[in-house]
Order: sequence, then structure tokens, then C-alpha cells
Amino acid sequence: MKIFSDKYFSYLLKSIVILITALLVFTESMQAQTFSISGKIVDSKSKPIPGVNVILIGTNFGAAADDEGDYQILNIRSGNYTIQFSAIGYEKFIKENIIIQNKSITLDVVLNEVVIEADEVIVTAGKYEQKKSDVTVSTEIISGKEFSERNFSNLEDAIRYVPGVTMTEDQISIRGSNGYSRGTGSRALLAIDGLAFYTGDSGDIIWEMIPTLEIQKVEIIKGASSSLYGSSAIGGVINSITRDISDKPLTIFNGFYGVYDKPYYSEWDWSGERRPFNGLTLSHSNKIENFGFNISLTRLEESSYKQDDDFKKYIGFLKTVYNFTPTSSLTFLANTFNKRAGQFLYWKDSRNALVPPDQNLGDRIETNRYLFGLIYKTLLGNQVIMNIKTSYYRNYFKDNADIPNESTSNLYRGEVQLHSNITNYLVITGGAEGTFSEVQSSLFGNPDEYSIGAYAVGDVTFNFPLIVSLGVRYDYSKLDSLDGSGAVSPKLGLNYKISKELILRSSIGTGFRAPTTAEAFTSTSTGGITVKPNPNIKSEYNLTFELGVNYYPVEFINLDLAVFQNEYFDMIEPGIDPADGLVFFSNLVRARIQGLEASTIIYLLPNELSLSFNYTYLWARDLETGTALRYRPRHIFYSGLDFRKWNFDFGINFRYTSRVEEIDDELVDLGIVVDGDLRVPVYTTDIKLGYNFITNGLPLNIYLNVKNIFNYNYVELIGNLRNIRNYSFGVNLAL
Amino acid sequence: MRIKTNIKYFKCQSAILILMLFAVACNDHGIEPKPEPSAFEISGFSGKVSFASEWPDSVKRAFVVVFQNPLLTPGDFTILNLKFLSREIPLGVQTYNYSSFDSAFIPSVPGPFPPGTYAYIAVAQQSTEELSLARNDWFVSGIYYANGDTTQPGTMVIPDITFVENINITVDFNDPPPQPPGYN
Repeated sequence: MKIFSDKYFSYLLKSIVILITALLVFTESMQAQTFSISGKIVDSKSKPIPGVNVILIGTNFGAAADDEGDYQILNIRSGNYTIQFSAIGYEKFIKENIIIQNKSITLDVVLNEVVIEADEVIVTAGKYEQKKSDVTVSTEIISGKEFSERNFSNLEDAIRYVPGVTMTEDQISIRGSNGYSRGTGSRALLAIDGLAFYTGDSGDIIWEMIPTLEIQKVEIIKGASSSLYGSSAIGGVINSITRDISDKPLTIFNGFYGVYDKPYYSEWDWSGERRPFNGLTLSHSNKIENFGFNISLTRLEESSYKQDDDFKKYIGFLKTVYNFTPTSSLTFLANTFNKRAGQFLYWKDSRNALVPPDQNLGDRIETNRYLFGLIYKTLLGNQVIMNIKTSYYRNYFKDNADIPNESTSNLYRGEVQLHSNITNYLVITGGAEGTFSEVQSSLFGNPDEYSIGAYAVGDVTFNFPLIVSLGVRYDYSKLDSLDGSGAVSPKLGLNYKISKELILRSSIGTGFRAPTTAEAFTSTSTGGITVKPNPNIKSEYNLTFELGVNYYPVEFINLDLAVFQNEYFDMIEPGIDPADGLVFFSNLVRARIQGLEASTIIYLLPNELSLSFNYTYLWARDLETGTALRYRPRHIFYSGLDFRKWNFDFGINFRYTSRVEEIDDELVDLGIVVDGDLRVPVYTTDIKLGYNFITNGLPLNIYLNVKNIFNYNYVELIGNLRNIRNYSFGVNLAL
Repeated sequence: MRIKTNIKYFKCQSAILILMLFAVACNDHGIEPKPEPSAFEISGFSGKVSFASEWPDSVKRAFVVVFQNPLLTPGDFTILNLKFLSREIPLGVQTYNYSSFDSAFIPSVPGPFPPGTYAYIAVAQQSTEELSLARNDWFVSGIYYANGDTTQPGTMVIPDITFVENINITVDFNDPPPQPPGYN
């Protein structure tokens, strides 16, 4: 049966037009009994600044300045307001006590120029708030609005467009740190508001559990961060920062509906339908005296373009903050996740690329996960901030095999951190943390693991524009019957501002990662792939070096260049034991990853049109065999064009990665993944179109996204065709 | 002035690069289905195993095995060199017909067998209670000889689009052939 006929699309289009028209009429009628704030925004040379964002803080009212720098906020009721003007390249301007009393007012402002994005801050690189221009390592930031604008319901979809980062299915690789380890361990640490977010059994990152609507921004730190974050951060850190709690009641409704197009080749059209997907999130935020909260519930459903790849997911999120005093607070975080899904491991063959092998038809899995965290923050004396963080992460899954694979893990974690500006020239951060995990699993057995770590880092500034960051951390980890292992991880970083436009950064440090429970003890067989344990596996170490430069040759162009080298010792990688053909994790003697990264952003029309290019060259190789490491592309190129004007938002994103040189050849040779040798370079192009109704007095955004517009067929993991062309329509309403 | 010229040049370069990548993206659709092999395009092999003596009670299972490279060292007797492992030969039979199109352990999905030269084809038996992948648990009970030359293992050559027949093996449990390296 054809679910989505042309008639259906015609009906859908008409409905959207009627809805938009109705909204416009509705908003016009709202303007009758209200007032406005209008004015002109100019720079220090009295030149009009177009595109400045103007918002009334604590309300849903706002506007964008036009070509002449004129702005107008309509439909404002009488009251006392605080207004904020912001634009890239200019200092933010906030004016309080704007009183609207039975008449409209005019307010002209002058914005002062600054170096573009110089005031952007990140929080994770040194475990405290720092300006991005002050850090010693390469960092990237994803703004939270990207998720709704580009209809990313999963954090991993946005990560795919970060310079120097690639994904192989759901496994992240920062500058080539990871290949594909089948969901068992990661060399990047994911954190949510600073709480580590990995499972106690597989040590894996569960991207789909993060509620994207609740994310204010995501920071990606590239390179070994073990000196502060410990074992899992050997390749980098991804810290998701959740939204601040709103001072006034704020309810957000976010929804999207989309369909996958038909496959490019008719023989792949196994269902005869355009397969739909949709998502709904309802979120509320409020603050009552000393207590505030964000709460949301998300439901995601997808039929998928692949057979037995469908899912239903429910994500719950709660964040509460109680301020005991102005200098001490307690934050509680809860993140729950339930998924019922098909389990598509790999295709039947290239003629049946969207269908699993006969023996895997009907494979399904159910997952329940819970993260609970407490963060207590207080000021001790006048200079020392203390953070106490505790968390509990429960992970459960079960499949429907004849003898089901079932696993439960409980991960407990605690950390005490002290941070102090001892003098104007020295900032010290130190702390200690411990974790304990217990596992009951048909896959991994019942091993326990504990680890402890202590760290200290000092950032020294001088009378001249140099920042020196010196840190060290000790970690010890004991995984059940394996020998315990520990390491001291030092790190040295330098940041030198040659001029306002030219900043040099450099860092050198070591990293340490203990094997995960899954890497040491997995024993299972799925879809013809049998994985065996390796109780002799050892910890891995690395030495990482980076030299980078950030440069503004002219006001509207930013260039960033970095060269890096990561030397891995005893690198843990999955492979095939030639003695029996079984998959297992073992230590490569030595691996080396070298590369360079070049990024540029060109503001072709300030605040309206920007163009970005990012290129990464990676040479990741096993030094013993001389061959490339598996699933690491040598060339990565991302480009984006973003245009915002007249409340419209238009963007094109292009992504290229070269064909990976090495894959799991054994799985192909053994006939497990038929036609698994088929792989190509990746070219994907996405388009987004959005409209913001805020100037019509309605806090509504609508978005249309077309992803993989050329319907290009590619794999990241052998035998797994990535998303084919799909269309989606989304709305974001804030009340 | 020079900066402006360079910027203009840079913008042109950028636009050309994007257009080139777009052109590639438009014209190429990436992975495509491999053609279904017709009956005349299939490569593979088949043969018959003849048992010249009674099956000893100690034999628990036996298979036809095909190794690509010669078994010159213990390291050659590995799963990565093993390109075909038949299903178990029924215990006690006198003859057994096999084909690369039959269901097998390796490859797990029957289909065209890659053309090429295969250096060692044999019948291997095990006496362990459970299937074992340890080298020492495999005992070769019969070898394929080509052109009547019983002094060395016969090589099987599968040309492109050719199905090779008569890869026949005789097994005499009372007179086994020389064992490949690695068997103690």
C-alpha cells in the first residue's frame, strides 16, 4: 500500500499554507492593544548595523535590525523591561529599566566593534569558565539552536559536522582517535553539565539519550584530556551544557515530521513506501524564588528506510536548581531513556542493501537507561569554589535472540573539585574522583570495576599576553580479574596572543585509558559475528602534541590552523584472531596519528551571510604493519553556507570524507558481510529553510530540512547504508 | 588593495571548489547494487569424496576444507587462509558430493566462489567431542591430487566465470596423507 501519495503531499502542502496564513492573521489581530519599541542601531562610525538581534530579556519578544539598522518590536504591553542588543562582531549591549507606559518609545543605540567571537566562552577545557581565545587546545562549539533548526533529534547527527570529527555509525572519532569498536568503549568522554556519561559495561556513549531541546551548547575539546578528565578522555571531551532555567514560566513545544524518499535503486525498495519519522518534545521551565526547574518529555518514532531498523524512543529530562544562598546551590539532574527497536546489523547483500540477512530478520532489542546526578556548588571563603558531583547511571538491554543477550550495569561516580583564583595571575583547579561499576550480563559476565583519580591544573597569566597551563592527573583502575593499572598523565599548554588578531596555542600531554568491561570480557555471537574475551588485554597510553594558530587577517575572516600528532602505545583495537576467526580486542604495539586541520569562516555579509570551510588531513597507521588504522578516512572536508535575513534562515551544509582505506576485511572474506567491500567516498549535502515569526509577535519558528538531497548512497560501517534522502518539517513554539 | 585582491581570489577559489564538489555529488550516487550473477557467470567448484575404508569410531566429524595458500608453516593453517569449510560430512557415508554452492560454514552465505588459485584441498576430521578450532584438533584424512600426481597436494584453479568440477578426494582412514605443519 502506498502511504504517502502525491495527493497526500498536496494535501500536506495546502495545510501548511493555511496554517501559516492563519498564524499571520492571528498575530496581526494581537497587535491591536499593545505598544512598540523601535529605533536605529549604528556602529561607532554611525554606520547602520543590519541583522542585530534585539530581545526583551525574560519575554518572547524580539526583532532583527533591517538593512538600515532599524528595528521594531511590536505587541508589547505596558511594563518595565530589560532590552538586549547583540550581533557577531559587536559588544553586547544591555539596557535596563525600559518603561513602556501607554505609549510606544524610540531607543537608538551604538554598538562597539570587537574581534569576532572573541567573547565566546567555553567551560570544559580547564573545568572552569574560560574564554575560547584563552584556551590552549583546539575546541569547537555547537550551538543548541542547531538541533531544532536542522532537525537533529540525536546529538551524533550534529557531531558529524564538527571539523576534525567523524562518526562511524554511532562511534565518534576525534582526529582519528577511534575506528569502529562495535559499541565497546570510546576514546572520547561525553559529559552532561560536567557529569560523565558512559555506560558501566561497554563504556559506550549513548548519544540518543541526550534530549537535544534541553541543550544550550555542546563543546568539543580535541586531543588527549586525560590530565583533567581521566581514562575515557584520551581522544577528547564532549561536554553538553543544558539550558539555563528561565526566570519566568516558559513552555516550549517542538515537533517534526518527515519522510524518507524512495531508495535510488528500485531493487532496494523493499517496502514500496516512503518511510515516515516524527518527534515531539514538550518542555517547561520556571523559577519560584530560590527553586527553579527544566522538565521535558520527548517521543521519537521512526519507521526507517531499512527493514528491522525501526524504533520508538522516550526521553525524559529533569533539572532542578535550589539556591541555598547567592553563593551555594544544589542541582539535580535526571535523564531517562526507553527504546524499543529493530536490530539491523548489516545488509543481506548489495542487491538487498536495506534488508538484513534472512537469519537476522525480526531481531529486536529493548533498552532502559537512567542517569541521576547531584551537583553541589558553594563558595568557600572568598576565593575557593567547591563542586561536589555524584551520579548514578543504570544501563539495561535485552534482545530477542533464542537465548537472549541481556545486560545490566550500575555505574556510581563521585567527584570533589576545588577551584580558586589565588591571585590575578594564577588559577588553580584540583580534585579527586572515584567510580565503581557492577555488571550482570550474559555478554560480559559479572565483573566489577573501580577506578580512582586525582588531578590538579594551574593556569598562569603574565603581564604580557601569555597563558601557561600546567596540569597532572593520576589514575588507577582495576577491572575484576585483570591486573590493576595506573598512570600519571601530565599536560602543558601555552596560549600566546601575538596581537589582537593572532593567537598561538600549543599543548603536549599524555593520556591513559583502561580497557572497558566489554573489551575484556565480551563473549557473544550475533549475526555470524562471534566475539571472544581477552583477559590479557592491557591499558593503552598516548602522547599527544598540538600546535595551532587563530588569525583574523581582516575583520570578516577567521582562520584557524592546527597540526597535531598522537602516538598510541598498546592501542586497543578490535580485530580477528587468525587462529580461530573470532573477533576480539587486543593491543596494537604502537600506532601513530598525524594530521593538520584548517578552518575558516568568512562573513561575506556581516550578520547575514557566512561561509565556512573545514579541512582535516589524517594519517593514522599501525606502525608495526605500516597499514592505515581501520575506519579512519584520510581527508575530511566540511563546508557550510548560512544566510539570515528578513526573518528567513537558509543554509546549505556539505560533508566529504574520503573512502576509508582499511575495514574489517575478515568479515568480508569469511562471507559474513556479503559485498562488504563496497565503500565509497562520502558526499552529502543538506539544505535547511527556516522562518521566524518573532517580529510578528509570535514566538514561533518553522523549519524545512532536506538531507542528502542528491540521494547519495554510502556506508560508514561495512554493510550499513547511511540515511537516504529525507524531508522533514519542524516547528518550535515558545510560550 | 592587495588584501582585497587576495580576498576576491580566495572567494573565487572557494566558489570553484564548492561547484566542483556539487558537480561530483550530483552525478554520482555512490554505492550501487552488484549485478545478479547469471547461471553462466558463476564461478565455483564441486567434487566427490570417496571413502575407501570404514569410518573409525573415533571420528566425530569431517569436512571438506580449501586453503588458498600452501600450508608450509603452522601459521598457514589459519582461519584467514581457510576459504571454504563445508558442512559436516555425514558420518559413515561411502561417498559424498559437495559443491561451493552448498551451504557451508565458510562462506556462510552460498554464492559464487571467487576465481583464483587454491593450493590445498582436503578432507579434515576431528575426534573432539565439541567442534574445536585449535590446530592440533584437526587431522587431514584425504587430499585432492591433480593430474594423478600423488607426490604433492593438487592445486585447484578457478578461472573467471567458470565452474570447476571433479575436485575429487579419496579418503583412506587407514592410510592418511602427510600432515601439514603444526600437527603434533
